[in-house]
Amino acid sequence: MAHLTDEIASVLREEISRFQSGIDVREVGRVLEVGDGIARVWGLSGVMAGEMVEFPGGITGLAFNLEENSVGVIILGDYLKVTEGDEVKSTGRLLSVPVGDAVIGRVLDPLGNPLDGKGPVVSELRRPVETLAPGVAERSPVREPLQTGIKAVDAMTPIGRGQRELIIGDRKTGKTAIGIDAIINQKNSGVKCFYVAVGQKDSSVAVAIDTLRKYGAMDYTTVIVAGASVAAPLQYIAPYSGTAMAEHFMVNGQHALIVYDDLSKQATAYRQLSLLMRRPPGREAYPGDVFYAHSRLLERSAKLSKELGGGSLTSLPIIETLEGEVSAYIPTNVISITDGQIYLQPDLFFAGQRPAMNAGISVSRVGGAAQTKAMKKVAGGLRLDLASFRELEAFAQLGTDLDAATQQRLDRGYRMVELLKQGQFAPMDVVDQVLSIYAGTRGHLDEVKRDEVADWEKGFLTFVRDQVPELRKRVDESKELDAESERQLEAAIAEYKRQRAAHAGGGKQLAGAR
Amino acid sequence: MTTSATNAESGHVDIAADRVAKIYAQAIIEAGEAAGCRPEVIAELATLARDVLPKVPEAATVFASPKVTPEEKDRIIDRVAGGRMKPTTTNALHVLARHGRLGMLGAVVDAAERLADERDGRQQAVFTTAIPLDSAEQARIVADTEKALSATLKPRFVVDPAVIGGLVVRVGDTIYDQSVATGLARLGGRLQQRNIHAIQTGEYSWHT
Repeated sequence: MAHLTDEIASVLREEISRFQSGIDVREVGRVLEVGDGIARVWGLSGVMAGEMVEFPGGITGLAFNLEENSVGVIILGDYLKVTEGDEVKSTGRLLSVPVGDAVIGRVLDPLGNPLDGKGPVVSELRRPVETLAPGVAERSPVREPLQTGIKAVDAMTPIGRGQRELIIGDRKTGKTAIGIDAIINQKNSGVKCFYVAVGQKDSSVAVAIDTLRKYGAMDYTTVIVAGASVAAPLQYIAPYSGTAMAEHFMVNGQHALIVYDDLSKQATAYRQLSLLMRRPPGREAYPGDVFYAHSRLLERSAKLSKELGGGSLTSLPIIETLEGEVSAYIPTNVISITDGQIYLQPDLFFAGQRPAMNAGISVSRVGGAAQTKAMKKVAGGLRLDLASFRELEAFAQLGTDLDAATQQRLDRGYRMVELLKQGQFAPMDVVDQVLSIYAGTRGHLDEVKRDEVADWEKGFLTFVRDQVPELRKRVDESKELDAESERQLEAAIAEYKRQRAAHAGGGKQLAGAR
Repeated sequence: MTTSATNAESGHVDIAADRVAKIYAQAIIEAGEAAGCRPEVIAELATLARDVLPKVPEAATVFASPKVTPEEKDRIIDRVAGGRMKPTTTNALHVLARHGRLGMLGAVVDAAERLADERDGRQQAVFTTAIPLDSAEQARIVADTEKALSATLKPRFVVDPAVIGGLVVRVGDTIYDQSVATGLARLGGRLQQRNIHAIQTGEYSWHT
C-alpha cells in the first residue's frame, strides 16, 4: 500500500510542477433551449457552420444553423445532460473520428467510441467526418470487380470497385443479407469492410454482428452503430463517419467496401433534425437539401487514379421502400445518385427465389466493365433473358398451348431461376459461378428436373474440384474462358452427366435388388 | 463603469424581444445623433429603466400593461419626462408607448448601449475576479487588456469567488481565462487522462 501512495504522490507532484496557468482562450455561448437532440445557443458569434462545439461534461455538438441572433446546435451525445443556461464552447475544429487499422474489427458509435467493451480505440490518426469527394481528375474509371459471391448479383448486376450499387426493396426481402454476404465474401480479397447500421433495431444489429463474427468477417470489418434508440443527430452523422473511416483505406491505396443500412432511416433522422431546427419542409416534409445529404455522401465512394494510389471505396447503400413504391422521394433520389440498383421483391422472396432480385429492373451502370472476361462470356444476355422469361411465364400461366420453342425457353428460364437461388452466408467463388452459369445458359440443365438443379450444381462443382482441377485452375488464373477451356468444360460436363446417370441408375438397380 | 448586469448576461435571453429592441435602439441612436445628443439620450433612458423603474415597480407594470391605453401612457410620460429630459428622449418614449413596446424599455436600453459602443469602436468587457479590486488595480488591468487586444474597452467588474484566483476576461463572446479554477479543472482532466492511459497500457501495478 505504501508503494501505491508513493506512486500516486509522485504522479501528483509531477503534474503540479507542470501546472502553469496558461491563458485559456475560448469563445462561448449560452444554451437558450434544449430538447430532442438539438439546442439553441445565444452567443458563439464567431462559430462556423459545421464546427464542433463543446457542452459541459465533454458532450459534443455540431453548429447546424447559424441565425441572426442564435446558433442551432445538434447534440451528439446525451442531450438530457445539457440544461438551459449551460456554457457552450466553440472548438475551432471540425468533427472527426479515429481511423486506421485500430478501428478494424470493432463495433463503434458514430463518434468512434467503442460499443463492444474491448477498450478504447487507440489511434493517432483522425479524419474529418465531412470531407469533399474526390474530383474528376483524381478518379479513374471503375474496372476491377468487387465479387459479392452472390451468383445473381455477380452475373447480372456486377459491381466494380468504386461503384455505388443501391440495394432497394420492401421490408423483409433480404436487403441486409446481400450486404452481409458481400462482406463475408471479402474474406481473402483484402477489402476492408464497414457496416453502418442506422436506425436499426439493436437486436437486428446484434444478429448481424454475430453473423459476421461467426463467418470470420469481423477480422476485417468495422461496424458503426446508431440504433433506433439513439438521438437523431447521431443517426444523421453515422454514414458520414463510417465513410470517413473507410476513406482512410481508399486514400492509402487500399480497397474498402461500405454498406449503409439503411439510408431511408438516415433521411428520416435528418428530416427530424431539420424540422426541429425549423428549416422549411419540402416534399414528404423532407428538407430541401436531403438530396445533397445523400449525394455528397455517396459521391465519396470512388476509384482513385493511379497517381493517388489507385485505392477504391465501393458502397452498397440500402433503401427500404413501402409497398414497392420506388417513386417515393428518397428512393428516386438515391436511385438517381447511384450507379445502379438491385431491386428485391417480396413476391419473389415468398416464392422461394432468394435472393429475391427482380432481374428486369435491376441494373448496374458501370459494373459491366468490371466483370471478368469469363463471367462476361457466360452471363452476357442472362439478365435480359431472365426478364423476358418472367414475361413469358406470366403469359404461360393463362394456360394457352405453347409451341416447342416457347416451351423450351420457359424450361430454360425455370432452370436458370433455380440455378440463381443461393443460400444465405454461402458466398460462391467466381470460378464456381462461371462454371455453373455456363452449364445453365448453354442448356446442360434443360433435362434436369427443376427440384434437382441445386443438387446437380453442387455435385458438378464438387466433380470439377475433385476430378478436373486443372480446368478450374486454368479459368481461375486466366479469368477467361477461351476455346480450349470451353472444350474441356464441355467434356467435363459430359463426363459428370455420365457419372451422375450411372450413379442414379446404379442406385435404382441396388434399390430394385433389395 | 456601470455595474448593472444587462439582460443577456444575467442569463435571460429572449431572442424575439432582442430583435425588436435592436430596431428601436437603432432608431433612437440615429435620432440622438441627428439631434447631437446621443450620449445624453441613452443616459436618460438608462436612468429611467435602471434607477427609476426598479424603485416604483407599479410604474413598470403600468408601462408593460396593454390595458393602459397609449394615450394614458403618453400623459404619464409627459408628466414624468416633460422638461426634465431631452426632447429626443421624450419622443423616444412616446414612440415606444404608441407601439406598445414601453414594457421592453430595459431591453431597448441594453441594445442601444451595445450599439453605441459598437459605433464608437468600444467593446464591452467583463472582468471577473475572486476578490474585489481597488480602482488602481482596475485601471491597470483595463489598460493592459486594451493594449493586449488593441481595442477600446467598456469594462465591468464582477466578483465571483468560484474562480478561486486569477482573472477571467470576457470580451464579446470570447473568454480569456487565467483563473485558478480552470487551471485546476485542466489539471484534473490531465491526471484522469494520464491514469486512463496508464491503466490501458498496464503501466500501473497497483494490485500488488
